[in-house]
Amino acid sequence: MVNLRAHELKVLASIAKLGGKASVEQLISEAELSDAAIMRAALALQEQALVKIHAEPQVIVKLSAEGGMHAEKGLPERRLIKALLKLGGEANLDSAVAEAGLDQQFKQIALGWVIKKNWAVYDSKTNMLRVAANLLQQGEAPEGDDEKLLSYVHGNRQVSLDSLNAALQAAVQTLKKRKLLLTEEKTRRIIEVTEAGKQAAAQASAAPEEVTQLTPELIITGKWRSVKLQKYNIEAPVAKTWPGKKHPYLSFLEEVRAKLVTLGFKEMTGTNVETSFFNFDALYTPQDHPAREIFGIYFVKNPEYGDISAYEKAVANVKATHENGWRTGSTGWCYKYSIQEARRLILRGHGTCLSARTLLSPKLEIPSRYFSIARCYRPEVVDKTHLSEFNQVEGIVVDEKLTLRDLLGVLAKFALEIAGADKVRFKPDYFPFTEPSVELSAYKEGYGWIEFGGSGIFRPEVTLPLGVKVPVIAWGLGVDRLFMMRAGVDDIRYIFSQNLDWLRRKEVA
Amino acid sequence: MPTIDVDCAELERLLGWSWHGDIEKLDELLAFVKAEVKLYSKQENVASIELKDTNRPDLWSVEGLARVLRGFLNLEKGPRSYEVNSPILEVHVDARLSGIRPFICCAVVKDVKLTDTIIRGLMYLQDKLDQTYGRSRQKTSIGLYDYNLISPPLKYTVAKPDAIRFVPLGFEETLSLAEILERHPKGLEYGHIVKKHSVYPILLDSEQKVLSFPPIINSNDLGKVTEATRNVLVEVTGTVHQTVLNTLNLVTLALIDRGGKAYAAEVHYPEEALYPAKRVITPDFSSRHMDLSADYAKKVLGFQLTTNQMAQLFLKAGLGVEKISGGTITVIVPCYRVDVMHPVDLVEDVAIAYGYDKIEPLWRELPTTGGERPEQRLINIARELMVGLGFQEILTYTLTNPENLFDKMNCERAHVVEVANPKVVTMSCLRNWLLPGLMEFLSNNQSVEFPQKIFELGKITLLDETRETKTRDEEWLAAATSHPTASFSEIKSALDAFFMNMGVEWQIKAITHPSFIEGRVGTATVNGVNVGIIGEIHPLVLEAWKLENPVAAFEINMNKIIEAKITKRAARFI
Repeated sequence: MVNLRAHELKVLASIAKLGGKASVEQLISEAELSDAAIMRAALALQEQALVKIHAEPQVIVKLSAEGGMHAEKGLPERRLIKALLKLGGEANLDSAVAEAGLDQQFKQIALGWVIKKNWAVYDSKTNMLRVAANLLQQGEAPEGDDEKLLSYVHGNRQVSLDSLNAALQAAVQTLKKRKLLLTEEKTRRIIEVTEAGKQAAAQASAAPEEVTQLTPELIITGKWRSVKLQKYNIEAPVAKTWPGKKHPYLSFLEEVRAKLVTLGFKEMTGTNVETSFFNFDALYTPQDHPAREIFGIYFVKNPEYGDISAYEKAVANVKATHENGWRTGSTGWCYKYSIQEARRLILRGHGTCLSARTLLSPKLEIPSRYFSIARCYRPEVVDKTHLSEFNQVEGIVVDEKLTLRDLLGVLAKFALEIAGADKVRFKPDYFPFTEPSVELSAYKEGYGWIEFGGSGIFRPEVTLPLGVKVPVIAWGLGVDRLFMMRAGVDDIRYIFSQNLDWLRRKEVA
Repeated sequence: MPTIDVDCAELERLLGWSWHGDIEKLDELLAFVKAEVKLYSKQENVASIELKDTNRPDLWSVEGLARVLRGFLNLEKGPRSYEVNSPILEVHVDARLSGIRPFICCAVVKDVKLTDTIIRGLMYLQDKLDQTYGRSRQKTSIGLYDYNLISPPLKYTVAKPDAIRFVPLGFEETLSLAEILERHPKGLEYGHIVKKHSVYPILLDSEQKVLSFPPIINSNDLGKVTEATRNVLVEVTGTVHQTVLNTLNLVTLALIDRGGKAYAAEVHYPEEALYPAKRVITPDFSSRHMDLSADYAKKVLGFQLTTNQMAQLFLKAGLGVEKISGGTITVIVPCYRVDVMHPVDLVEDVAIAYGYDKIEPLWRELPTTGGERPEQRLINIARELMVGLGFQEILTYTLTNPENLFDKMNCERAHVVEVANPKVVTMSCLRNWLLPGLMEFLSNNQSVEFPQKIFELGKITLLDETRETKTRDEEWLAAATSHPTASFSEIKSALDAFFMNMGVEWQIKAITHPSFIEGRVGTATVNGVNVGIIGEIHPLVLEAWKLENPVAAFEINMNKIIEAKITKRAARFI
C-alpha cells in the first residue's frame, strides 16, 4: 500500500471532489493549503504516479491604469451620453463634455464612441450633439459587453480568458485595442488524478486517520490508539535555535582572572577617568612626553581638572623626582614640573595607573601580588589592529627580594599558565617607568610565536616617591592577541563585535 | 614609537657586517637596542625599523644604529670618540628671546660628501628629533644650511611679524613672518608655538640675510642642503639648553660618521641667570661618569657578575669604563647616551649585553592570597542568569556620542563626561547609560534572525563633584528583547525571574520616561530605593534607530543590587 502524508491525502481528496482534475488555484480554496504546500504534495504524488501535473498555457486579462479609472467612473462615452440626457437630449458638445466632467483628452474619444455605438448624432457645423431617438425613449443607453467586461475584470482584479463567454472574449479584443485591458500569457498547472491515484485515495479514506500533532486531547481521550501518527522526514532541516550565551571575549577574561587568582594575585579596580598624576607623573613619564599629547591620550573636557590634594606628600616627591631626581639617585628629567598639569583629567591610557595607586595606598602589603583588568582608552582610529578602547590585564609583584630573574620567572609562569605556551622568549623592551624592561613572546605549537607581554622592574624614580622601598615587578599581558588567536579571528574589532550572527554562531567550547 | 626607514646596503656598509638578506638575523641584532624590523621592501632593500625606546634619540639614524650595533657584533669596543675643532663661528643672542626661545647651539661640519641617500637619512633624523625629542619643535628644532653661503657672525634675535620678509623653503616669493604663519604649510603646523608672542625669533647673518625663522622654516636661499653642499652649518634652537645641546650633538655626530670634520661655534648670551654661561662653546662631546656598585647590580639582576665581567659587557654595549675600584665601576657615558639617568640604566645595559636568554627565570613562592574584586561573584551570577533567560551577552564601547545617548533616545541632552580631543565624532563622550548601546547593536543587526534578545553588563561613568576624578563609575545591567510581538510583560517576566533568582525582592512603580511608551514604563525599586527602569521602547526611539520590530527593555544598577544583597545578608546575622 502506498504511504501518503496528510497534505498529499488532502490534495488527492480535494481533486476527487473537484471531478478528478483541478487547477492549483481551485485547490488553494478547496484544500485550504498554500500554493507551495499544494505543489509540494502534488510533486510527491506525481513521483508515485498518483497524479499527473499538466501545464496549460492561459491568457490572463488585467486592467490597465486607464482601464482601472474608467472601471470606476464609467467609460467616457457612457459619461457623455448620461450628461447629454441630463441636458435634455441635445446640447452643444462642449457643454455636454463639461457637464460630464470629462478631461479634454477624452473629448474626442467619447464623441467617437457615442457615434460608433449609435447613441447620438453630431453636427460638426453647429457642434451640436443629439441623442438617438430610441435612447431618448429608454432614458439611458443599454450596457454593452465592453462595459460588462470592464466591471467584471475590475471586480476580480484578473481573469482568465478561457473563463469568459464568447461575447466577453470579443469585448476583450475591443478594450485591448482601446488600451484599457492588458493580457499576458501564464502557465496554469492542472493536477489530474490517475487511476492509481483514485485507488490510493479510496484506500486511504478507508485507512485510519493520520495526524501530525500528538495533542493532549488525543492522549487524554486515548484516541491516539485509533489514529496513525504521521511519519516525519527527520532529515529535513529545522529552524535554528539561538541560546543565550556569554560573550566569548568576556568569558576568556574570566578565565584569565581565575588563573591569576589561583596564582595568588589580588584584583585592583579604579575609574575610567583618571588624573594625569597617576596615569603619567607617578609613573615617571615627563609632562611633555609625546604620549601626553592629544594624539596619545584622551583629555576630559569638562571638568578639566581633578583633585590630588589627598596625596600632597607623594606629589611633592614626584615633582622633585621629575625636576632633579630627588633622593632616587637619578638626574630626573630636568624641567619645571607643573602640579596643575598633574591634576589634568584624562581617560586612563593603561592599567598601570592602578598599580601606582596601589603602591601609594596605606593598605599595600609586602609581599603581595596584584592584578587589574581595566578598560583603557587611546585616541586611535579604529581598524583591524587598533581599538580606541580596549582592556588591559596588568599588575605588580611586590617583595624585598625581587630581581630580574623573578621578573622572567613571573613572565614564564604567565606564558605557561595563561597562554598554554610550549616555549618562551625574552627580549629587551622599553617603558618610561621600568628598568630593566622585558618583552615576553610565547610559542605554542600550531600557532607560532606571539608577543604576549611587556614588563619590567619599576624604576626607583617610580617606587621611592610613592614611599615603596622594595623592588616592584610590573607586568602587562597582551590578552587581546591571545584571544584573537584562540577565537581564530585576525581583526581586533571582533572583541567589540556588533555582529549578532557571529556571536550566535561562535562555539562556546 | 619612532620608526625609521633604513637603506639596508647603507647600514651593512656602516656596520661592516652583512646579514646576507636574512632579515631575521638583522632582527636578532636589533633586539639589543629594543628595535625590530616592521616592514622590509626587498625591491628597494629598505627596512622600516621601529625603535621602542623613546629616550634613545642616538638610535634614530642609520649612523647612530651602526655606532651602537657594532659593539654587539664585537666589531668595536666602548664608546666612539669624537673630536671637534676650535670655534670658527660666533653667534650673538638677543636678550629679548629670553621668554620666547632663549637657546641656540651651532656647529659647522666641513668636507662632508652628501649623497641623496645620506641627505634623506639626515632629513629623517631631523624630523624624528624635531617630532619626538623636540616635542613637535616646542622644545627644540633643527636647521641645516650651506655654510659657504653664510657670512658670520650670526645674530639670533627677534623681529616684528611684519618687519622682515624672506623666501621660505619651498616658496618662490618673499613672505613676511606673519604671512608665513598664514600661508606656509609649516607655518600652519607650528605657528601656534610663536603666535602668542608679539615678536618672533629670527636667525640672521652679518649681512642681514635670513637663515631661518625658528622653529617654523628655513630660508630657501641659505637653508637648503644638496648633494653639492660640502660644508654644513647645523643649528638648533629651543627652550631647554641641555636638550638643545644634545640635539646638536646628535646631528653633528651623524655628519662626522659620514666623514665630516666638526668645528665649534661660540654662542654669546646676555648676562642673565637664565643662561648657562655668558659664552658657550657648542657642540660639546664630553662624556659623563656614573658609578655602579657590583652589589646594586646583583640586587637588581639576581645573579652575581664580577666587576671585570661587567666592564667587558659595558664595552660591548658601547659604554666606557673609567676605573674599577673595590666593588664599584666608574662608567663612561658618552654624550649621545642621553637616556642614562640612574645606575639602574647601567644595570639594564649589562643585562642586555649579557643576554636575557642566558638568565635563568625564577618563580618565587610568596605567601600571597589571590582574590577577585568583591563584586565579581555577583556580577558573574547576574550574567549567568541572563544567559539562562535566553539573552545573548554583548560587549560595546563605553565611548559614544550625545546623539546616541540623548537625541536618538528621545531625551533632552544632559551633561556627561566629554572628551576634549575626540578622534572621531561618534566617540566623543563616555556613556551614562547602557540602553543606547543595545539599541545601536539591534540597529546594526536588522537583517539577522528574530527574536533578538541581548544584554550587557558594564560600566557607565557619571559626573560626581565629590570624587578625586570628578566622576564615578557604576556597574549596570541592561537587557532588550526585540521581535514582532516583544512586549512589556515579556521583559517584566524576565526581570522578575532575574530578581527572584538574585534573591532580591523588588517592586515596580509607574513613571513616564521619553524613551518609553507612556503607560508601559516603570521604575524598579528595592527596599524603596530606585534601582532601574523597565518598559517598552517608544516608537520615536525605534524610528530613530531604524528598528522595525518592537523592543522591550530594562536597565538596572548592579551596584545597588549588590548593596541590597549585602544588607540582606548582614540582617540575617543580627
